[in-house]
Amino acid sequence: MPLTQLASIPADRVTEDAIERKLYSRDLASVPAIMVKPFFRTLPDVVVRPGNAEQVAETIRQAARERIPVTPRAAASTSYYNSVPVRGGWVLDVNDMRDGIELDTARQTVRVLPATTWFELDDALQQRGFAVKSYPSSAVSATVGGWVSMQGHGMGSLKYGGVGEQLVSLQVALPSGELVTVTRESDPPLDWFIAAEGTLGVITQVELTVRPRPAAESHHLFAFDELNTLGQNVVSLARAEPCPFTIFFADSGYLRLLARAGFHIPLDLPQSHFPVSEKGLLLVSFQGEPSEVNQGKDRLTRVAGCELSSDLALEEWNMRLYHLRAKRAGPSLLAAESWLPIDALHHYLKSVKALAERSRLLIGTYGLAVAPNMALVMSLYPTDERRTVEYLAALGFTKRLHDLAARYGGRPYGVGLWNSAYLPRLFSRTRLDELKRRKARLDPSGIMNPGKLYQAPFPLWPITFGIGAMLLGAAHIALGRERP
Amino acid sequence: MKDQAFFEGLMAEAVICAYCGYCRAVCPTYAGVGWESCSPRGRIQLTRLIMEGTPPTRDRMTRLYQCTLCGHCTQVCPTRIDLRRFWLEARKQTVARELSPQGLAAARDNVAKTGNVYGYPNDERAGWVEYMDDAPADLYQRDQAEVVYFVGCSSSFSPRVQRIAESFVRVLDAAGVDFTILGEGEVCCGFPLLAAGMHDQAQAVIEHNLERVRAIGATTIVFNCPACRMMWLEEYARHLPGVRLLHSTELLAELTAAQRLPMKDVNRIVTYHDPCDLARNGGVYEAPRAVLAAIPGLRLVEVHERRERGLCCGGGGDLEMVDTALSGRVAARTVSKLAGTGAQTIVTACPQCVRTLTRGAEQTAPDVTVKDIVELLAEALDR
Repeated sequence: MPLTQLASIPADRVTEDAIERKLYSRDLASVPAIMVKPFFRTLPDVVVRPGNAEQVAETIRQAARERIPVTPRAAASTSYYNSVPVRGGWVLDVNDMRDGIELDTARQTVRVLPATTWFELDDALQQRGFAVKSYPSSAVSATVGGWVSMQGHGMGSLKYGGVGEQLVSLQVALPSGELVTVTRESDPPLDWFIAAEGTLGVITQVELTVRPRPAAESHHLFAFDELNTLGQNVVSLARAEPCPFTIFFADSGYLRLLARAGFHIPLDLPQSHFPVSEKGLLLVSFQGEPSEVNQGKDRLTRVAGCELSSDLALEEWNMRLYHLRAKRAGPSLLAAESWLPIDALHHYLKSVKALAERSRLLIGTYGLAVAPNMALVMSLYPTDERRTVEYLAALGFTKRLHDLAARYGGRPYGVGLWNSAYLPRLFSRTRLDELKRRKARLDPSGIMNPGKLYQAPFPLWPITFGIGAMLLGAAHIALGRERP
Repeated sequence: MKDQAFFEGLMAEAVICAYCGYCRAVCPTYAGVGWESCSPRGRIQLTRLIMEGTPPTRDRMTRLYQCTLCGHCTQVCPTRIDLRRFWLEARKQTVARELSPQGLAAARDNVAKTGNVYGYPNDERAGWVEYMDDAPADLYQRDQAEVVYFVGCSSSFSPRVQRIAESFVRVLDAAGVDFTILGEGEVCCGFPLLAAGMHDQAQAVIEHNLERVRAIGATTIVFNCPACRMMWLEEYARHLPGVRLLHSTELLAELTAAQRLPMKDVNRIVTYHDPCDLARNGGVYEAPRAVLAAIPGLRLVEVHERRERGLCCGGGGDLEMVDTALSGRVAARTVSKLAGTGAQTIVTACPQCVRTLTRGAEQTAPDVTVKDIVELLAEALDR
């Protein structure tokens, strides 16, 4: 597409520079070229930076006329290529659509531009006596529009639900180039755009409910010697009244990764990782009115773990947005993030431990209770992307962890490109058909973020992916063993 | 995040970078440019691509210099990369490839020829004293003194900020401090060269300044310029055992605590801007606030973005020499935040911040004045 045909956007907001485009062809995931280049066109032809909703809509209209794929992108802080093109075309970098915060104190709602980060939004609200109800554990970079487009569960979801529940309205530039405001009652309804991963349009404004800034908060850190007890205590706390703002848990593998990365950890671990210690951590945080927080604290006498000092609890709370620090133990870190029925948490943690022990691998797991019946678990393992063969093998190992979660009713968190291999686990046939109907109605030309969410492209067909990942996973167990 | 940060080499850290974008969210020059290549994670990736064989060009490498070295990226990096060291090392390699921006070569040549980045004759370095009607006969240049006031290039030569030097010597006099300046014996501290990636060239000026300071026999060296102070702490301190290296606000905090500065009431509302190299990179947060608190009648209204989260003035890391317009955009954004406090005066503690914020105020808040803390203190002196 010659740049002259993007006349609606100022020239300094469009680039065809080769290096610039290359920087838009990745997200958190570092994937070797051998797995990408033969199958996908991740290098965009053009990167466009619209400055407002009208420019977004106009760019999409032009793309629709020419049937050019459009990939919306804000922080690109996921690792499934959700905002990386797989069929070239235009990347729509919406990061200039930031801030624009309009707080309605009477209704306790806020309107905000989509590329505002959750940290920025909460910070701005706190100054005016309010707070967001929930935010992702990558809040420093994750954007409001991005989290709405993803699964939207994290800190605070246990108490206030996923971000989808907090939405009042969205302004969306549809694949037709039409700029619309959608609500629960509109057609199409707002719900269609939650977790749609930018395949149905580009979110250009978000309106959501907020809460008064909590008058009190309290953080409590417990050490456990046994994963069963840890898992069971997560369950009982997740269903307790008053509901904690957040419950974070971590096993000894995660703590060992942090220690290996050079960070202080609040527990003493044995010198050797094997046999894998059953120790674990649990952080419970209450936020709200002082009476509610005090009531929550009283409830903690029933927690079976050993309570650590309030300083350590505060330190752990302050690190809640910095789990990626474990990557220094890598230098690369691969992960499988899953939704998991919370009742199965202890089974999952025990099974990861068993897998790590049998395979002589260092695997760390941490997570959050995000609903009374649901946890998000992230299992990580170190590797080194500079050793291509070992790294490829390590990539295959993620399937082992997803399979393990699936044994207990879990499923991957987010789809994008890479998790499309798990589509049968992610959606029932009926649900997937419904999602496809929505896509066909709103984006009949299929220009909006194509190659994601609805269908696994080769080589991610379940059969090819399954065999490939099984072989690579076995190779990782052989190559990735912890050295004594 | 904690202060702990790591640097194990460019490639090692580029691999550790998670590409999470925390750095991007706080980067003042990314906010002013908007392209991924001008975000810290983009610059890291660019550095990696070049180390892996992508041909470098001067234009591409300029991205590494569109950075003020403000350190905010290091502050938030979850993988704890010491990004300030990363940028300095990457710039060093850029110089080795002879691809650094043209403007920096002029600064290097100026320092080599004249001893200052501006290229002025260095015998005019203490010219500002000659404009002072109350200067002593020795023009503050003494053979021996307890304290050496290292004036720095900006305060020596830049007309707007020469007032900082004038104010500081008046304050030191008022407190009865036994001090001297080095006059034409002082040359650039070397930081602009180090920031440009010209480490070798910085060595000559370091040796020159060390020799001059040793000859005075001082026990304390004091700086208005936080970058000079950082440079001395990092590159000179190991050659000066037992010598205190203080920022002006640290010395002034001692003097005000000892009640050595008689002050009159000032009726003014001010806000304080934390200079990056003094605060986030230098760890000095309390001393300037203690000095402000000691000025009677002064009301400090703090901006929300302060201390570790302080905003950048746009003047650091040689950005002004490389991309003046971008430096101005960063300054304008910072001034609008600071002016949002309702303060009549933005007070800071760095001549470069005063220069850039003054320009920013001209654009965005013409009714607001910008002053260094020593200027404010000199005005408050009851003499």
